[in-house]
Amino acid sequence: MIKYLLIRMASALPTLLGMTIVAFAIVSLAPGDPIEQELRAMGIVPTVEDLNALRAKYGLDKPFIYRYLDWMSRAVQFDFGTSIATGRTVINEISLHFPATFTLAISALFGTILISLTLGIAAVASNQNTASFLRALTVVLVSIPSFWLALILIYIFVFYFGWARLVGDGSLRDLVLPVITLSLGSGAALGRVVYERIRAEMCEDYVRLAIAKGVSPAKILLRHITPRIIGPLATAWTNALGGLLGGAVIVESIFGWPGLGQLILQAISQRDFPIIQAYLVFMGLGFFITSLIADIIVIITDPQLRRKNSHE
Amino acid sequence: MVNALSVEELSLHANGQTLLDNVSFELAMGERKGLIGASGCGKSLSASAICGLLRPPLFIASGRIILDGRNILDFTQKEWRAVRGRHIFQIFQSPGTALTLAMRIGPQLLEAAEIAGVKNSKRTVLKALHDVELDEAITEFFPYQLSGGMKQRVLIAMALILRPRILIADEPTTGLDVLTEFEILSSLNTMIEETGASLLFISHDLRVVRNVAQRTLVMHEGRIVEETQTDMLMQSSHQHSKSLAKAAASLVRSC
Amino acid sequence: MNNLSAKKLNSVYQFILILKKHSGLSIGIFILFAFAFISLSPLFITYIEPNKMDLLARLSPPSNEHILGTDHLGRDVLSRFVAAIPVSLGAALFAMMVILAIALPWGLVAGIIGGRVDAIMMRMADIIMAFPTLIFALAIIGFMGASLEASIIGVAAAWWPSNARMIRALVLAAKEREFVRAARLAGASHLRIIFRHIMPQILPPLTVIISLETASVLLALSSLSFLGIGAQPPTPEWGAMLNEARPFFTQALHMLLVPGLAVTLAVLGLNLVGEGLRHILDQREPYKW
Repeated sequence: MIKYLLIRMASALPTLLGMTIVAFAIVSLAPGDPIEQELRAMGIVPTVEDLNALRAKYGLDKPFIYRYLDWMSRAVQFDFGTSIATGRTVINEISLHFPATFTLAISALFGTILISLTLGIAAVASNQNTASFLRALTVVLVSIPSFWLALILIYIFVFYFGWARLVGDGSLRDLVLPVITLSLGSGAALGRVVYERIRAEMCEDYVRLAIAKGVSPAKILLRHITPRIIGPLATAWTNALGGLLGGAVIVESIFGWPGLGQLILQAISQRDFPIIQAYLVFMGLGFFITSLIADIIVIITDPQLRRKNSHE
Repeated sequence: MVNALSVEELSLHANGQTLLDNVSFELAMGERKGLIGASGCGKSLSASAICGLLRPPLFIASGRIILDGRNILDFTQKEWRAVRGRHIFQIFQSPGTALTLAMRIGPQLLEAAEIAGVKNSKRTVLKALHDVELDEAITEFFPYQLSGGMKQRVLIAMALILRPRILIADEPTTGLDVLTEFEILSSLNTMIEETGASLLFISHDLRVVRNVAQRTLVMHEGRIVEETQTDMLMQSSHQHSKSLAKAAASLVRSC
Repeated sequence: MNNLSAKKLNSVYQFILILKKHSGLSIGIFILFAFAFISLSPLFITYIEPNKMDLLARLSPPSNEHILGTDHLGRDVLSRFVAAIPVSLGAALFAMMVILAIALPWGLVAGIIGGRVDAIMMRMADIIMAFPTLIFALAIIGFMGASLEASIIGVAAAWWPSNARMIRALVLAAKEREFVRAARLAGASHLRIIFRHIMPQILPPLTVIISLETASVLLALSSLSFLGIGAQPPTPEWGAMLNEARPFFTQALHMLLVPGLAVTLAVLGLNLVGEGLRHILDQREPYKW
């Protein structure tokens, strides 16, 4: 098992390395000189000598590979430089905003899992009419843009009923509406995945045998089908985390949730490249870790794979 | 003789096609009957219909299937569950995929014991395995670790545990070598003798049917064309029966 | 000739039968046609100029003059909604075309050649897929500066790898079919195999993918515009319209409802078509318990 984990991580190394190159390249190949822009924004019209001196100071006159290696060697020590806009260190900014986004994304992930299981199993268990209603509901929920849903929820619950507040202090209560906004769409989308997975298994021969044995539906689902689908579902759920992290940017912006999304939007408008770089790397890393977890679940639940890995 | 099962004028349609046409036959208590016919003639469909395992677009257009004086075609899913396993059980054509891949053999057999309502389920499972000449150790195995013949015997062990009054065996030896085939058939015979179940044995191979069933139904393109003593099939005047008999005979000669 | 038209009539009749059986698909097609029709309607009806401000009629509710009301600058919401169709949907369709232009050859080549080429190409796709899609698009926009063009490029850059993977999977499945293997053994060229054997097979599932992916691209693009880093004001675009409505939506609900419903319906139409087609293609039925 541990050996497998090591192999799995080693095989992901090129991807991780590629990720850092991409993250670095996107920003450092950007058109427009961040230093010049920054100075202009401050109302200073720099001379060519000033610019060159500043470039040399920030190492921007060196070739790409050199700059990448330099950046990487500092990045592995969590040194991503300083924010051009605020002057604070990037890692400082990130760690300031990270907990809020982490709480939001993980809560939304649990919301997504809960909603998808409820919708998926309900669709499997219900008769034809209810099932087609649930299918229609799913398509509609998947189609509603989260930013619109958020505004409507705010309209209903904040302005109409006054049950929730808009500018919160980051307490658990303020998390409810953002989490609902984030998890409804992805929960519905994954509910369809749950439904289709179960339905596909219901077409298999082993389910026919279980039925012929006289096993009840609940037990067929729990004992026979669940072990088969839990791995693929775990993969789908963790993949959804990527969408949730992206969606968090939108939801944070609407609900004023003080997370990384606010930080990145600000960084984009101020062309604060070190922040953008670090944000991309951290999000990629977080996504990477969750897919690793999903892979482990796949291995644990598939006896054939499990046996193969423990023998090797 | 009391009938364990009688199929009356059963017709089955799908997409405007008639797949079973007025099929009628009876299975007496403790009787072993063969159902023989070429591939695609509707043997497996009949088996699925009797077990209530048809799925759309297949549907039963007319007819009745009487079990214990009740027409099982009128059953609700709940009534079906009460009948399946203990009254009717089926061993399917493809042992390779029939068992749940992600479950060890032991729990799958224990589940059958739970449904059969036996008291000492563990002992029942071990005894059943012993009867089909499988080692106790395989309870710890997953299906992919077993050969096709072993999986088929696991299914027969399952039948032994469930003790159904009617067992339908749908081509249980297809795709297995002759030695394994012999072992499966003897396990099956053991099971039937021990439980006194009625058996409907479906095959395209007269050779195999002869080892199990005294009487045989011959099916052709969705119809029962003849019912006869299995041994008399060679002398049958019926065209389809004759061709099946001939095929079997030529196989025996070539072996 | 007569025979031919009868055949045509027959296929039209079959198409209608399919629509009757799959109500979701027909609703989806109807919605998409309605959008196409409305976007063409300025050719026949004169709308109020979408950027014409009327500061005296700010935030006015629906009336005879402004059927869907006006926004915070007194612009007509209806004409902005109509003018936004080619922008919002057009951007999504264009982005999808860019995605396909990369993903289709990528998936085809990787799937057909296989081996090391496949491994390298998929590894490259994986690297981009390792980032959450919207976040990758954000970074691209950050590097290009906020604009509709940048958001299209960002979305295309983030979305193509998953599409390439799906197309590769379709190609691999198609490649294993008997007649394709036979054609390969018979020495048919790669190009011939692609166009004669693989393309016709992957086309139906590809239509499903295109339809569903266009829906998600449309959602992403309007989200970016909503965040103020996609289409810039005063361009009429649904996401941007909602962004502008944010400070005012408690006073003027129509500013919230019109563009929001527009995005939802367009995405819904695309999703319904995709789902409907998928349903037609996959007809396996489960056992009843």
